Amino acid sequence: MNPLELTLGIMTAVGGFVDVSELVFAAKAGSTFGYALIWVFALGTVGIIVFSEMSGRVAAVAKQPVFNLMRHRLGLKLGLVTLLASMISNLITCAAEVGGVALILNYLTGAPYFLMAIVMVAVMIASIWILPFKWIERVYGLFGLFMLVFAAALVAIHPPWDKIAGGFVPQVPQGLSTKELLTFAYFSVAILSAVMFPYEVYFYSSGGIEEGWGPKDMLTNRVTSILGMSLGSMLAIAILSNSGQLFGPANVDPEIPGTAALQASIPFGRWGLILALLGMFFAIAGAAVETCLANAYGIAQFFGWNWGRHKKPWEAPRFTLTWMALFLLALLIVLTGVDVMMLVEFAILFSILVLPLTYLPLLLLAGDKKYMRGHANGPVAKALGWLYFAIISAAAVAALPLFVLTSGGNG
Amino acid sequence: MTPDSRIKLTSELLDLPILDSEDKYCGIVDDVEFAGSKHLRLKALLVGPGAYAGRMPGWMFWLVKTVAGDHMGRVPMDRIKTIGATVKLTCPGTELGLNRGETAAGRWIPHKAAM
Repeated sequence: MNPLELTLGIMTAVGGFVDVSELVFAAKAGSTFGYALIWVFALGTVGIIVFSEMSGRVAAVAKQPVFNLMRHRLGLKLGLVTLLASMISNLITCAAEVGGVALILNYLTGAPYFLMAIVMVAVMIASIWILPFKWIERVYGLFGLFMLVFAAALVAIHPPWDKIAGGFVPQVPQGLSTKELLTFAYFSVAILSAVMFPYEVYFYSSGGIEEGWGPKDMLTNRVTSILGMSLGSMLAIAILSNSGQLFGPANVDPEIPGTAALQASIPFGRWGLILALLGMFFAIAGAAVETCLANAYGIAQFFGWNWGRHKKPWEAPRFTLTWMALFLLALLIVLTGVDVMMLVEFAILFSILVLPLTYLPLLLLAGDKKYMRGHANGPVAKALGWLYFAIISAAAVAALPLFVLTSGGNG
Repeated sequence: MTPDSRIKLTSELLDLPILDSEDKYCGIVDDVEFAGSKHLRLKALLVGPGAYAGRMPGWMFWLVKTVAGDHMGRVPMDRIKTIGATVKLTCPGTELGLNRGETAAGRWIPHKAAM
């Protein structure tokens, strides 16, 4: 294990962890419920670590892409339903990220939102075309580390650390009305969905194959998923805590992604704001690239096409045309004028609905000794995997009624 | 050989990657074709979404056709060198009409600027 590569991998995972949905829901959760939803972020983070580690292990041992194995394990019909569900979820998420990144550029430059969406899609397509896989990941992930300004801002505003630590204990705040309880439940489900987006696992696993992982990389996989995602999640928790300390008492409702950036401007002024916006820009643009590639990976792997950005774009032409078409589709959705926040809500809702369907095959594959030989799920991974499957299934059942009853968390 | 192992033979062939005589990836085994009526014998491997036609409801196949087309290549058994973790062919995939989709898509992709 090369320590430099490992450090870069962890830093990339940290910088690439937060996306537009996490950003919005972390800020809203903090301003609405203080620190009471921190434990849901922690719960979701353990979940995404469990499934990412499994998917990386499947890629390293079986050396076959998850969607190909999924099709073999589930059969053609159920495999196709899974592909379709994850495609829709990834496409809406990608559109939300494109809208988010266009909004950030609009704040930074004052240029029109739609123009920025078009420019950014062109820039992201060019970056995937030109850069090799490792550098696509690193450019967005490492520049996403500007988001560390949110953690620095939290330290600078001297928050009540005991209350933040208390937020890690599972809880429901006392004295809430029925309406507020439903909103709390909706926020819990939404945060779980945002932290455990299916695209993250598909991207991570396909990335393992892109980088030629083998059984020797098992430790890299474990360390990157555990450390990278835990530290990344700390950034989301910092945003929530800043929001609980600064926005909640002032009755500020962070309705748009840009509001979160103000958290850094309070202690650090103009430069804090610029760093926060830059961090958000790269983190959200990275998420847009990941959702788009994750979608193209799934389609190409299912149909048995050549795939991967370790090949030149013309060596995997159907894969190349697919990710380009998906980016253009996401752009078209944004250009219809649909509100970014609505896209975020739909991305969250649709993802949680399909989450059990997308994670079950992975759980079965990682536990299958025929594919995984001595690296199949052990008792801990098996217990955690099934526990999280039960949690996301319950969340999926509750998501739609909660969305309707709370008007998407707006009470 | 028991009836069970015959079924397993077929199910294990499905979804295996196919490499041609030049080690080029040519897709995966999407279905198999049998010969004979009483004593079935493997006749060919079918490659491409066209092979899904009888294996899914009409609306699903329509969707597949829209996204991936309905081309189907046929690999006769005498063109197969070995079957293991991958299926290896004795000839180039293009001779059997494999990779036609990749070739067609390749015409739209400029060969420059990528690292």
